[in-house]
Order: sequence, then C-alpha cells, then structure tokens
Amino acid sequence: MTSPLDANDTAAVLDTDQAAPRPTMPVGPGRWKWIIAGIISVALVWSISGLSIGIDRLLGAPGDAWGIARLMWPPDFATELERGVLGKVLESVYIAWIGTIIAATFSLPLSFLAASNVAPRWLRRVVRNLFNVIRSVPELIVAVILIAVTGLGPWAGALAIGLHSIGTLGKLSSEAIESIDNGPLEAVSSSGGRWVSKMRWGVLPQVLPTITSYWLFRFEINVRASAVLGLIGAGGVGSELVSQLNFRNFPQVAAVLIVTVAVVLTIDNASSAVRRRIISGGGGLPGDQSRMAILWADLTGRKT
Amino acid sequence: MIVFDDVSVTYKGGVQALKNFSLTIDHGEFVVIVGLSGAGKSTMLRALNGGLVPATSGSITVDGVEVVGADASTLRGVRKRIGMIFQTFNLVGRTSVLNNVLMGRLSYVPAWRSTLGLWPADDREQAMQSLERVGIVEKAYVRASDLSGGQQQRVGIARALAQDPRIILADEPVAALDPVTSRQVMRELQRINTDLGITTLINLHYLDLAQEFGQRLVGLRDGELVFDGDIADVTDDTFHSIYGRSITSDDVLSD
Amino acid sequence: MSSPTEPITQQRPVKPTRRIRTLAIVLALVGFTYFSANQVGVKLSTFWEVWTNPLWEKFWPVPWDWVLNRTNVLDPLVETFQIAIVSSVIGCGLALPASFLMSRLTTPNRPTHVVSRAFMGVVRAIPDLFWAKLLVTAVGIGAFAGAWALSIFSFAVMVKLFSETIDGADPRPLEAAVAAGGRHMPAVRSGVLPEVFPAYVAYALYTFELNIRASIVLGLVGAGGVGRVIDAQRQFFRFDRILGILILVFVVVFIIDQISVALRKRLV
Repeated sequence: MTSPLDANDTAAVLDTDQAAPRPTMPVGPGRWKWIIAGIISVALVWSISGLSIGIDRLLGAPGDAWGIARLMWPPDFATELERGVLGKVLESVYIAWIGTIIAATFSLPLSFLAASNVAPRWLRRVVRNLFNVIRSVPELIVAVILIAVTGLGPWAGALAIGLHSIGTLGKLSSEAIESIDNGPLEAVSSSGGRWVSKMRWGVLPQVLPTITSYWLFRFEINVRASAVLGLIGAGGVGSELVSQLNFRNFPQVAAVLIVTVAVVLTIDNASSAVRRRIISGGGGLPGDQSRMAILWADLTGRKT
Repeated sequence: MIVFDDVSVTYKGGVQALKNFSLTIDHGEFVVIVGLSGAGKSTMLRALNGGLVPATSGSITVDGVEVVGADASTLRGVRKRIGMIFQTFNLVGRTSVLNNVLMGRLSYVPAWRSTLGLWPADDREQAMQSLERVGIVEKAYVRASDLSGGQQQRVGIARALAQDPRIILADEPVAALDPVTSRQVMRELQRINTDLGITTLINLHYLDLAQEFGQRLVGLRDGELVFDGDIADVTDDTFHSIYGRSITSDDVLSD
Repeated sequence: MSSPTEPITQQRPVKPTRRIRTLAIVLALVGFTYFSANQVGVKLSTFWEVWTNPLWEKFWPVPWDWVLNRTNVLDPLVETFQIAIVSSVIGCGLALPASFLMSRLTTPNRPTHVVSRAFMGVVRAIPDLFWAKLLVTAVGIGAFAGAWALSIFSFAVMVKLFSETIDGADPRPLEAAVAAGGRHMPAVRSGVLPEVFPAYVAYALYTFELNIRASIVLGLVGAGGVGRVIDAQRQFFRFDRILGILILVFVVVFIIDQISVALRKRLV
C-alpha cells in the first residue's frame, strides 16, 4: 500500500482507493472443509445420543477398566501353562498356517486369470469381482456359516481363514502380475511358446518372490485372525481367553494375553526377516510398497 | 523365403504403421532396415513373426506359409523357426541364463515337461551350444540380471539360436548398448549369418553401423518402402529420402 | 568389414547345487504343514462334501419381512454405524496429537518416541476382538464396550500410519519455524501440520471404512451392533435370516464406501 498508514484508523486505510484489493478467501476446498466438519459433528452427536452413553458411564469407564487391569496383576502363568495355553496358541498358529496354504493354493492360479496383461478382459473382471466379494465377507462371518457345516473346531477356522484370504491374496497377486516387465512375455510368444509357457517362464519367475512374501505377510495376519476365531468356537487360543474371562479369572486372562502377544510378535519378526531376504534377493516389483500398505492394514487385525 | 505382398497394418487407435508394403527376402540374406522411430520398422518385424502384430490386409508368407489370418497353431509353427532379438533384451532377470536360453526350446518340448522344468537332455545340450556360440557359456548358471548389457544381449542371441531358427529378427538390438559393445554384437550377428546361413533382418537406427555391417539396405519412412537396394548404392540422397533431412550426429554411432 | 571373432576356449560351468539346503527347507515346510494338518484335523473331503450339505437349504428363501423389520435388524444396524462413527472420531482425534509426539521428526524428546513406539506395538499385537471381549467384561455387554474397543484400535492404527507420514515430511519448514524463535508445539503446528494434514484426512476416512466393517462383527463377542443379531440367529440355525442380514449389511457398507471414496477425492 502506498498511502501512509494511520495506525489509529485502519478502516480508513482499507477504504482508500490506493489500497491494493485483497483477495477474497477462495471458496472450494475451504468451504468443503466446513461442510464436512459440520457433518462429522452432527453424526457424532447423533451417534452418542443413539448409543445412550451417559456422562457418568463415560467417566466411570476408565475406572472400571483400571479396576480390571489391577485384578490382572500378577499374571498367573503357572495355572495357564498347566492348562496348556502354549498348545492353544500353537493351535492358532497351525490354523493360520493351514488357512494360508489353502489360500495360496487357490489364489495363485486365480490371480493369473485376474491380471489384465495375461488374461482376457471379461475374465479379468469376473475374477476381480469374485476377489472383492470374498474380501468383503469377514472371516468371522465365514466361520459362523462354516461351523454349521463342518462343526465346531479348528478345521472350520482354517477353512474360514483360507477362504477369506483368497480374496486379498488374489487381488494383490494379480496386481503384482500386472506390474511385471512384459518383455519376457513377448520373448516367449515369439519363440512359439503356448499360454502356459508364457505364465511359467515369462511371469512366474518375475512374481514368485513377491507373491511368496505376500503369503508370509498374510500368514502373520492370519495368526491374529485365528486367535480371534477361537472366540466363537473355531479352535485356538481365543477359546481359552473366553473361558477364563467368563470365570473372571483375571490373572489367568493376563497370562493368556501375554503368551499370545509374545508368540504373535515372535512370528511377526521371524516372518518379516524371511520376507526381507526373499525380496532383497531380487528387488521387488513396482508398486510393492502400496500393496504392502494394504496388507499392513489387514495385519492390524482389521479385515478389509 | 519371406514375401511381404501389399501389407498394411493399422493399430486400434487408427495409426497406420505400414502402408501397402511389399518386399521379398531370399534365404540367407543379411538385411538392415533403417528409418526414423515410428517409421514402421518394428511393426514390420512383428507382423512377420507369426503376427505378434497382426497385419490388417495383404499377405505375408514365410517359406510358403501364409501368416496373415492364420490360426494359433500355424502361427506357433511359424514362430518356432523365427528367432527374435529385442532392444530391451527381454530376459527374465530373476532366473538363470540357462533357463532364459531354454525358453528358446519351448516350442520343441511338450508343455508339461517345460512347465515342470524337466527339459530333455538334447534341449539342454542345444541351449549350452547356443551359449558357447556367443561365448558366454561360463555364465550359464548366473542370474540374468547380474550380467552387463552386452552380455545380456548375447544371452538374447543365444535364446534365438536355441530355436534352431531359419530366420533371425533383431529389433534395434544395440540401441541400449555402448558403441564398442554394439559393434561386438553386430559382428556376432554377422558371423551367425555367414556361418549358419540364417536369414537375418535387423532394425537399426545408426547409419554408420548399417553401412558397416549391412549387405542389403531397406529404408522405411512413414510406413512406406522408400529404398531397397545394395548397401554400396547408398548415397547421401538415399538417407535424405529416408530421413527427410540431412544426417545429424544423432544418426551415427560415434566411437 | 570385420574379421570373425577368435574362438574362445570355453569351459562349461558345473551346475551349482545347494541340494542339502533346498531339501532341508522343503522338508521343514512339508513336515510343518503335515503336522499342522494333523493338529487342525484337516478333512479334504469337506471340499466336495460341503456342496451337498442339506444345510444350504436353510439359507433360502430370505425372510425379507423379518430382516427389514425395524427392531429386528435395522436398529442394531444403526447402532453398528454409531459405534463406528464414535470410535473413528475419538480414535482419530486422539491420534492427531499422539502422532506428533511419536514421530521421529516432531517428538519433543527421544524417550517419548521410544516408549510410545513400543507401547503401541504391544497394543496392535492384541487383535481388535480381543480388546472388545476384554472390554465387554470390564464395562458390560453392549455397544459401549464396542465403541471403546474400536476407539483403542483406531487410535493404534492411525498413530502408526500417520506418525510414519510425519516421519517422511519435509523437515525444513520446521527448522525455519524453530529458527524464527517458535516454541516446539507451535512450530510443529505451523511448520509440519499443513503438509501432512491431507494425509491425515485420507487415513481418517480409511479408518472409518475399516471401523464400519469391524463393528459388524463386534456383536459376535457381545459388544453390540448387528453382529449381536447374527450371533443370536446362529444359535437357532436361522441361516435364512443371517443371509438376509448379510445382504443388507453389504449393500449399506458398499454405499458408505462409495461416499467415503468420493469425500476422499474431494478433500485430498
């Protein structure tokens, strides 16, 4: 601004013609921000009132939780080891392993049919949608249905995990196939190779390390998933947790939790070390990072 | 003998890559094809090689077998005896050199055997001999991605040789290599042509390389044949008609 | 023209074998699988017998009158979404400051960074439904426990994703703000937040989508929402009703996902 400023009368300054016009705040993203903030606030108020969460209950909850936490100390490992908690956790691991093998067996061939660079477009769409439908049904729901068919027990859990994992593994594997270097495919075609040779010699060597690492990652996720399945009677450590909670044996509950966390973290570390070795052996494929992020979201126990 | 008769190739987007192209190549010839990028050189080789790019009209025959409109098994039969060498080598980096060369034997071996990796001893021997011919057999069990560019292209040549080909098509085989290696690879191709009598078609960008190694020169411009003759008859005017401009330093491979 | 290259004396290499190592790995994997299969009680016949199981008849026809009745399914379904909304807001809201405390770039001091990382690792190692089951015991059966469990878990997920984004942010604006004499938190607020906020919004919406899905199954362990109805109906073998609920749930979830994706595009 060129006019001399009068500190006592800023309004006058703003009114002068010599003042450069200030830009008005642009509408657009800014306005959306407020609209969305409004929507969130309304949704929050509606939800809290709908769940009838009273202030006293809200304030009392941390105290309740703390009370339980204090009852858990010290953890009673002796009783739990006697009850075979280690075997229960290992049973969860076996369930996860079998489930992962089932998923790998079915998802690998299917993923070739879902990759745009090696399969016809209509087929790709069909298989892709199949993966998405499978992915959207949580393991627990699959298990609820399967338990009715196969009866309670670990086999129902392994089947549920295997079926559900086909969705994620198939989707990620087909994306890995789509990101390969297509040159070797042309090389196989040009030497007169058939479709199956193109897959075996042009595609498989390129994607197998990456896909193996997806399998391992999925195994880590499935260990957690199979622990949860025990909560509804599909075998593994979850059932032990439920029975101890029902009897309110909190020191035992603490022992179950600690053993579970220890086993889960050990498997995570071992598996990720192997994964790193596999991938570093040949460098990953483009887009590996983002696909790993999707798996990571699964790893947190939230099935997408 | 290879005969292109009035061949046109139009891509899906409407781009016409080859226009009424006719050419006859006799057995055992060494032909260099030059032209700007986008002139249709690469399309021509791929249309010839069992319709990797299908021709829209016209006729292409390889030793009397019609390629245009042929069914899949006929095409595989044609491709079986045509070895192809690529600008980007097109090797599978994560597997061994020997496995890459064995891919040249795919059309000779039953699919179930090759899929399980149970290659017959004869085919292994053929692959090894191909590697020996390009002087790189000591790398047979090394991962392909661990080789230098020149070595990778030798593996590419060995893969083509493993097909026991009657024809070799090389699509810009030295574009990704340095000048010294480029000349080595060109010499290799020339030697294979003279020693084994394999008809060889090479796309090249560099004019000096073309003149140094070619016998017969074919010039393409905008999908049309603009020159076909002995390399000795090539003048500056010839290049002008192919490139539509004078030769620049980009068109020659310096040392 | 050049002369043909000299024939080089070549020696064929011996095929390198790592047979013992390969054999050991294969044996270990096959052995573990066999052992696991025994422990799990794998019955391969399930794969073909399952199709002819008479139970499938119980899935049909879907009693839409019952499913679309307000008190039977719709109210619990609404409760499911309320749980997801509350827990997303609480979890994501608390995660915003916590992520800044935990990120290597913006942490006020190193012990805070290390201790909080380790703690969050343990929180995440416990599956979300274990949290739900624990909280059901602690605060009683119902939606309240579910909202708690999902809040904890949303918080853990958001902090992991968002603090790693902050780690990768450009440190120079922060240096500039500190150099200009800013105190730590205000400097972070003006130097780093603008850069990473779009990522925060994207993760928050993503967390919300995950929460919607997770809240559906919470009821199976007594933590409220539509899962409670599924759990009750499975005791009565009313699979026709369960199928109806699942179809309804997936239609609604699909719609919510589409809205969330559209919002994410607008905001980010």
